Amino acid sequence: MAKVFNWQIGREMDYPFEGHRPQRQFAMIFDTNKCIACQTCTVACKTTWTPGRGQEYMYWNNVETKPYGYYPLGWDVRILEALGVQEMDGPVYRGKTLFDATPTGEPILGYLPEDMDYAHPNIGEDDCAGTMTQGAHLTLPHMQWMFYLPRICNHCTYPACLAACPRQSIYKRPEDGIVLLDQSRCRGYRECVRGCPYKKTYFNAVTRVSEKCIGCYPAIEQGRQTQCTIACIGKIRLQGFLGKPDHPNEDNPLDYLVFVRKLALPLYPQFGLEPNTYYIPPVHVPADFLRQMFGWGVEQAVELYRRVAEDKKLLGALTLFGSTPQIIHYFRVDGDSAIGYDATEKELVRVPLHEPLVIREAYDQAHDAYRTNIT
Amino acid sequence: MKRLCAFLAIFTLALAAARLHGQPAPPEIVAIEVPGNNPIVDPHAPLWREAPATEVTMLPQTIVVPQKPDAAVRQLSVRAVHNARWLAFRLEWADPTQSDRIVLDNFGDQVAVELPVDPHGPAPSPMMGNPGGRVNIMQWRAAFQHDIDHGPPTVQSLYPNAWADVYPDQVLSVADARAYTGALGVENPISRAAASPVLDQMAEGWGTMTVKPDQYAVGRGSWKDGRWTVVIARPLVSDDLYAPRLAPGDRTVAAFAVWEGGNREVGSRKSWSPWVPLVIGRATVPDRPGKPKGSKP
Ligand code: SF4
Ligand code: SF4
Repeated sequence: MAKVFNWQIGREMDYPFEGHRPQRQFAMIFDTNKCIACQTCTVACKTTWTPGRGQEYMYWNNVETKPYGYYPLGWDVRILEALGVQEMDGPVYRGKTLFDATPTGEPILGYLPEDMDYAHPNIGEDDCAGTMTQGAHLTLPHMQWMFYLPRICNHCTYPACLAACPRQSIYKRPEDGIVLLDQSRCRGYRECVRGCPYKKTYFNAVTRVSEKCIGCYPAIEQGRQTQCTIACIGKIRLQGFLGKPDHPNEDNPLDYLVFVRKLALPLYPQFGLEPNTYYIPPVHVPADFLRQMFGWGVEQAVELYRRVAEDKKLLGALTLFGSTPQIIHYFRVDGDSAIGYDATEKELVRVPLHEPLVIREAYDQAHDAYRTNIT
Repeated sequence: MKRLCAFLAIFTLALAAARLHGQPAPPEIVAIEVPGNNPIVDPHAPLWREAPATEVTMLPQTIVVPQKPDAAVRQLSVRAVHNARWLAFRLEWADPTQSDRIVLDNFGDQVAVELPVDPHGPAPSPMMGNPGGRVNIMQWRAAFQHDIDHGPPTVQSLYPNAWADVYPDQVLSVADARAYTGALGVENPISRAAASPVLDQMAEGWGTMTVKPDQYAVGRGSWKDGRWTVVIARPLVSDDLYAPRLAPGDRTVAAFAVWEGGNREVGSRKSWSPWVPLVIGRATVPDRPGKPKGSKP
């Protein structure tokens, strides 16, 4: 095993291969506070990439309701249980990663789901944690809660799928860090399905080999954001590239939100894969739950998010979510607008920090009709 | 390479230990000569009655990760014959579950014969060869046998209640639909409908298994009363550069691997055997010392 540095857990860890950071890393930020679980992203991905034979059940992008939603069933609770209770105080993670906890004879601590675990993609949908007692009324923060968790392959810096594949059919592209599975080399051993704790590799029973999210690389190569990002109704997503963790660029909105302001956090950093999708945590969920899911620093992120209206640059970065189909490489705030630029520093988009407020008359003279709040 | 050397050291030690303890030398397999010129594929053909059975002890694969310390198959019964053109192995083992339907959590039964590409040089590592020590691995798959007997898999054949309205390949041109066909579109040998249930492959060590561009190996398998009987055959001599060229009287080695799909065995999670001496029998040779036993007088 080689020693590699994982910035998310603040320490070196074991990985079966030498660490080579890509020139820039495909990354995505999801603002969970804005996701409405409309599944437009899921459909955008499904119709673009997985309508073929044997792909019927595949959701390279899925959106589940936490705490009871999973795809496949129990994916995170099962691997968390196998890993056991860990020390998770940060900023240096003292517990075990999935690579530290590798059982004898295995490439990584993992498990293979059952076929039936994929049979209910909407399980737990809109279910709240806990029940309401007699006479209860809602207070803030809510005593019962749930939130929507959109998920794609994390194009991890230290992918477990890659580490687990005995044929080295999975590779990470040096130019953008996208993790791809070679459809001609794969022999369908399903070691990647067993190894990926996020269960983002899928087995195609018709072709008898595995498949996974390709990070929309044909679009990325054209400077376009992924299909799930540009289709997102809630504008909760921003897709682009992360730079080097030790040399963040404040003008890159992803670097700014992840490295500089630490508003967006990785999903289960304790697994040790250095996943590259980042989540702005939901503000109404108990901190203990969030800490287990997004790591330490979650309280500060929630605090920061609550004060975002006072923070122009942060607000500017968040305003760019869903504002253009192109990849935003740089941004800045100019007066009351946030501006996004492409790789050549050409302006892509200019968005007002505050939408103008328009109050319409209840009675529409032109149409001789009363407006209701849904027209 | 380090792992390979370590393994070879362990293997040599084990052999030495076996000799020290006076255990019998490993049995040998004698391919007796039978009449005919055609490929030998029928596992129930009468000609197999003449061939002596060699019981090969199978070991769980615990050398390279991922391992299978509880691999199910511990014994393989091997018979071998050849005619003027073809060398064939008949492999028989107990397997209570016929696994030829492959879905995420269902693995297929498989068996493989391995031969050194150079039958006269030093034997390469029995575990898929080593750099410079190339091996020819012919692997029969129950799933391929099922494809040949009943047609290739479809979602409805795998999941009878599955429903799909229309597929891209039904409404788009072949070129446009290719993006949705995954491994089929790039003609992955695991995905395509095969003419033979046996994959003809070569390897030079772990993780190097390659399906040969030209396929020579043939075979057939049948499962009955909790036992698989499988024939794997290949030409004695061919223009295949990645296969041994064998003639009656030759001595070489063969090794085997078995996967019990019902025990979730796949890839390196399997049972394997070290090299077993293999003799290509002669039909009519004058009596001489060392005449392979089992060959016809
Ligand atoms: S999320 Fe899973 S499939 Fe994606 S790169 Fe990480 S380990 Fe591989
Ligand atoms: S499209 Fe956007 S808002 Fe809708 S479910 Fe997907 S991530 Fe959430």
